[in-house]
Amino acid sequence: MSGVGMIAEAVSSGLTTAASVAREVGGRLTGAMPLNATLHWSQALLDRQAAALDALSPAERVTRPLAGVPIALKDNMVTTDEPTTCASKILEGYVSPYDATVVSRLRAAGAILASKTNLDEFAMGSSTEHSAYGRVHHPLDAARVPGGSSGGSAALVAAGVVPAALGSETGGSVRQPASFCGIVGVKPTYGRVSRYGLVAFGSSLDQISVFGRKVDDAARVLAAISGHDAHDSTSAPLPPLALEPARHELTSFTFGMPREYFPADLHGGVRAALDRTAHALQQLGATIKEVSLPHARFAVPTYYIVAPAEAAANLARFDGVRYGPRHVGPEGDVQALYRATRGHGFGPEVRRRILIGTYVLSSGYYDAYYRKAQQTRALLAEDFRKVFVEQQVDFLLTPTTPTPAFKAGEKMEDPVAMYLADIFTCSINLAGLPALSLPVGRGEGLPIGAQLVGPMFSEARMLAVASAIEAVVDAVGEVR
Amino acid sequence: MQWETVVGLEVHVQLLTRSKMFCGCANRFGDPPNTLVCPVCLGLPGALPMPNAQAITLATRASLALGCSVHPISVFARKNYFYPDLPKGYQISQFDQPLATGGGVTIESPERGRITIGVTRLHVEEDAGKSLHDRLPGRTAIDLNRAGTPLAEIVSEPDMRSPGEARAYLTVLKQLLLYCEISDGNMEEGSLRVDANISIRRPGETHLGTKTEVKNMNSFANVERALIVERDRQIRTVENGERVRQVTLLFNAASGEVRPMRSKEESHDYRYFPDPDLPPLVLSRLWIEQQHAALPELPAAKQERFMSVLGLPPYDAGVLAADRAVADYFEAVVAQGVEPKTASNWVINDAIRACNETGRFPVAPERLAALIVLVKAGTISNQAGKRIFTELDQTDETPAVIAERLGLLQVGDADALGGWVDEVLAANPKELARYRGGETKLIGFFTGQVMKQSGGKADPKKIGAVLLAKLK
Amino acid sequence: MSIRREDVLHVARLAALDVAEEDLPRLVEQMGRIVEFVAQLEEVPAGDSAPPFVAGPAQVTLRADEIVPSGLVRPPVAFAPEFTKGFFSVPKLGAMEGAE
Repeated sequence: MSGVGMIAEAVSSGLTTAASVAREVGGRLTGAMPLNATLHWSQALLDRQAAALDALSPAERVTRPLAGVPIALKDNMVTTDEPTTCASKILEGYVSPYDATVVSRLRAAGAILASKTNLDEFAMGSSTEHSAYGRVHHPLDAARVPGGSSGGSAALVAAGVVPAALGSETGGSVRQPASFCGIVGVKPTYGRVSRYGLVAFGSSLDQISVFGRKVDDAARVLAAISGHDAHDSTSAPLPPLALEPARHELTSFTFGMPREYFPADLHGGVRAALDRTAHALQQLGATIKEVSLPHARFAVPTYYIVAPAEAAANLARFDGVRYGPRHVGPEGDVQALYRATRGHGFGPEVRRRILIGTYVLSSGYYDAYYRKAQQTRALLAEDFRKVFVEQQVDFLLTPTTPTPAFKAGEKMEDPVAMYLADIFTCSINLAGLPALSLPVGRGEGLPIGAQLVGPMFSEARMLAVASAIEAVVDAVGEVR
Repeated sequence: MQWETVVGLEVHVQLLTRSKMFCGCANRFGDPPNTLVCPVCLGLPGALPMPNAQAITLATRASLALGCSVHPISVFARKNYFYPDLPKGYQISQFDQPLATGGGVTIESPERGRITIGVTRLHVEEDAGKSLHDRLPGRTAIDLNRAGTPLAEIVSEPDMRSPGEARAYLTVLKQLLLYCEISDGNMEEGSLRVDANISIRRPGETHLGTKTEVKNMNSFANVERALIVERDRQIRTVENGERVRQVTLLFNAASGEVRPMRSKEESHDYRYFPDPDLPPLVLSRLWIEQQHAALPELPAAKQERFMSVLGLPPYDAGVLAADRAVADYFEAVVAQGVEPKTASNWVINDAIRACNETGRFPVAPERLAALIVLVKAGTISNQAGKRIFTELDQTDETPAVIAERLGLLQVGDADALGGWVDEVLAANPKELARYRGGETKLIGFFTGQVMKQSGGKADPKKIGAVLLAKLK
Repeated sequence: MSIRREDVLHVARLAALDVAEEDLPRLVEQMGRIVEFVAQLEEVPAGDSAPPFVAGPAQVTLRADEIVPSGLVRPPVAFAPEFTKGFFSVPKLGAMEGAE
């Protein structure tokens, strides 16, 4: 399958039609059904979008940077023409009466919205097993998880169904599945992409993020969806991302490898793949040095206070009053309606997080948990600032995940073990920084990702650097 | 036994903006239900708040008018609770970093004279929608048109010592809000809502007794009534050897009773935390100073100036300064060169009455000034002036033209006056004899008769001289 | 700080969530482990401090006070679970009646 740039070029030049792209995508979506990666799609809707594109004049088509490019969308971004369920029973059948800003921008850029993809319910999870509509299978090994929570989008890109897809990140929900599935996942700086229409999980952490087969696929889609949005107070007052040309050498760059991200018990394949990547960077002329992020070990506990606290409030609106299915409790009054609707509608992981989030904000516990977490969050952000500013490191190089994709069911009974899958990713969300994961080899057949982390709003340079690595590192070769 | 009453008030004020607090829906009363709604104020999945600049401006002006310090940094927070007319399951408010703190309002206490009531804080928040219990049989109907209306919550110190002081505070507060065009202050439409905290203690005690909260009062008079009822209930309770329980009470205006709300006794735990959708609200000192400079002259200052500069008695100055429109009207009349006390008499006696009847000032200040000039000059009588005042609304004619048309011009010509005097003296021979016999106080009687004979046209100031000459 | 059954029931009530009796023991155990895990933050050295962290812009951008169209492609009746005579309809408020 071709990349984003080639499809757009072919469709806008008239070499091929959006209609034929739509038919091919429909065929591939049908073929990929066993992955359980999609929640909603229809050939009719694909064809309708394609027909609208094909009806444009050639002059109009060339102004669409994503003309005819099929893009899948995690089902927590609202769309007016298909349901948005967040993989939850509480939004079963809900069709939004407005489009998310990213959806409007993708439509304006000429993209074909290919499918709404499966996820951990309300994006809470790291394996896409916590979906009310069943788990997503890893494209290379059906017994394993694709990572999460954006596992459906990751699986579709990895399986070659679409060249790019949108996911969302709160603690690593795009980079982690990108790493597990052997594709590229880019989490932009907090505020780079509008959150308007992304169903909120942890508002101060959430950021719409992009999967691509290659760095270039993700970069082009990110450019199309980024830029200030007057509907989001946390959106940065910046124009859309301007991409830089790929680099062929990195002589002026310094990469930091934080020692806290390479613990003694790190998976052997992961360590070997990262060593190989560091070596490749040196071959490109870069300087590598060891650095320290001293508060790193507090990132996951901090994250599991901040995110559930915000989530508990964000999910209060799902009360069965204004939208979504409704259940009526035995008492018959409105409180019974709330308890029954929410009790039936939310799955176990979402319920746990709502309860934890409520607990850490409740009277008597706020200072010990939430306030303490906010202070620690500031320390984590300060750790990164020191490395980038005082030690003049351009980017950090770390593993994306401690292990390759794990087996389905392995961590379902132990929430804390599942949370630790985010150990190398969630501090970046806490600090609001941009980061990406790209495939740098395989261990026992399973993809391994390397993570680049940069200072605020350094995406353009980071993507150029990632392209340079992509060009020299064998993404599918076994490491040892 | 002696008891001291302690009252503190929380006042919610809807701000006079065009659009809502966090979205572009109209901030308007009386539209069909659920028609002024959008993803944001419906709390739809994915929607985000964008704060309204004008709401912040109005809340800042209110803070400054109340003498509060406006903070350069304040923070929006989520107040979490479930209620069907609260779309997001939380209200966006401000908590530990409000917009403004530490102000005060000077009032005339019915018991203690001039005192200052502390204003603890003013913060900005969004209103909830409405739950209506009488629209759908057996169901509660939810209208979200009001959801997201910008509110300022103004919290007083527990500085009031009687229900009367509470009412006086509210009167002054509302006056300030109307003056600064912050709110329309309409209690019936809910633009201004009052929750009162009340407790009792022995005079001289410094700690506060257990307080109750009284809600659901739709006029200042009802606030006073409700507080009297609740104060008396608390006194009876304590004097019966029982304890006052901390409850929320609803006032029933029809029965004049307070009754406890049916909500569960479970204490509220609102789990406030900073709203992650909204970065801190940062206001520059320069901007805050500009808002201060842009405040109109406030009622107390205006009253003082009317007394010291224009020489008005306190009553006049108070009445005129109480309403910004009246004060502006009065000053426009004075600007035409009318002597202030004369202008005050006309404004208070005629203009305000007309305004109360019609809801507007029917006579432009320049025309009222022209009328007053005619009266002062003796061209028309005071009585004729009142009549012309009512005519001025019906026509564009000048007061002089109306006076002429209605034959109200005063006659001061000695010959004409002499004719009427002759007729009066001829018609009242007995009184004439008594006058000449020494009963000089009958001069008043003759003056009145001359006025009558002239059909009101004779200039009363000039009748005397002519009469005296003829009576000799 | 371990989590007790009453703690779970209390926060479930605050969060308006029905929790089935048979799920309680497991929830108590899992929440206990999570709370124990996040309590690691007690180990953050007390002397460590940093400027308060704000995600996104340092200050909020204000919107001009203008009325704009709702942007709804469908009215509330299209997505409400119960909508009558222009109102969202819910059961009587029961114990909440007369609350704020």
